[in-house]
Amino acid sequence: MAEKKKSSNIIKEVSFRIAKATTKAILVYLMYFLLAPLLAPLFELVPGVMESIEAFVAVYITLMIISDVAARTIFEHIFRTARAVFFMGYLILSLGNGVISTSYQNFSLTLDLKAFTAIALSLSLLNVATAILQVINFLNSKAEADSDTSSSQ
Amino acid sequence: MNVPIRALSLATTIFWILLVSFIAVSAFSLKDLNFSLDEPKFTVTADGKLLFSLPLSIENRGYCDLKDFQLTVFFDTTGRIISAGKSCVPIIQRGKSLTLLHNATLSIDDIAKSAEHYLFNDANLTAQVTAGLTFADFVPAQISTNFTFSWGAPLYNFSAGQIDVAQFNATHSLVSLPISFENHAAFDLEGTMRIVLFDSADSLVGESQTRFQAEQHALCHERLEFYVPLSAGSLAAAQRGHCNVYFSTALFEYGPLVIHYG
Repeated sequence: MAEKKKSSNIIKEVSFRIAKATTKAILVYLMYFLLAPLLAPLFELVPGVMESIEAFVAVYITLMIISDVAARTIFEHIFRTARAVFFMGYLILSLGNGVISTSYQNFSLTLDLKAFTAIALSLSLLNVATAILQVINFLNSKAEADSDTSSSQ
Repeated sequence: MNVPIRALSLATTIFWILLVSFIAVSAFSLKDLNFSLDEPKFTVTADGKLLFSLPLSIENRGYCDLKDFQLTVFFDTTGRIISAGKSCVPIIQRGKSLTLLHNATLSIDDIAKSAEHYLFNDANLTAQVTAGLTFADFVPAQISTNFTFSWGAPLYNFSAGQIDVAQFNATHSLVSLPISFENHAAFDLEGTMRIVLFDSADSLVGESQTRFQAEQHALCHERLEFYVPLSAGSLAAAQRGHCNVYFSTALFEYGPLVIHYG
């Protein structure tokens, strides 16, 4: 009876995690869906950037869903860190040295995004640091819980 | 440790939201930014230079100010910059429109020195237009483009006919030289033409100077006649040789143009 109740609880919890992950993914996609038309005039100038952003959003949402489904395990934090590292890698790869040059008809446009790149990279570095701190905190809590259990026995 | 991590996470999220909002507003503003270049005009200044005027309209209907707007125009003939002009506007506030008349002077002397065929053949001049600005106090941007302007040669299709040296009297001969050209330039041409005549032994036979005038897109056809001190004995030697033609106008000096005859 107790085992049946336990398995029912696990199913309930997993369902809740999946629902939470799906809701978050939908919210993130909705944000992208609303922001993309605003940024489209800028992105249209750089060929291939829209496809690259779509791929980025797909990978980002996948990592987010996995980390949410694996909540309260070490994998949650591993995937969170992976997501933050992926974000930073994408920024470095897509923005390069922070100067974007593109041609449109007879015009050539050069945008100096060095300041933006510096801020974005600093924030994503902060994201990576937060994710690593969360891993340390999780391992610390787990170790504390294990030592409490063993001392009570 | 949970609270500091959550605080750090929250602060990062807030900064991300601010950054993304700024980018969205900037991109949306960029969409409402209009640049339009009107037809450029060439006029001749009092000091004998060509004045190039390029009217540029900027309409900033976005949410951000444009700062340090700079327009630079380089004129280029076969890779050589012959003129450069710069116009600056410190700030174009949001919701404001501005019409800028960019002027650059061109010296026809410089054009002729860079390649003399610009005096005799129609060609294209390349103007490199570069506009630099700081968008929303944060993003420096630069737009550049090339324009080609058709250059009309002032002495287009210049040709000299057969030089005729005929005895006029016992001491002098009459030299007649038919010349023709079309003035394809964007200005009227007025000046003097100096002709120096040499015989087959490269000895100076004589010289003359005459005024000429050619309106825009008009054909100039003249027969230059002048007397040279040539007796019957030396006339035979003057039947062959060359003449040097020098042009002097308010806009340019050119010469010698060597024409062989005989």
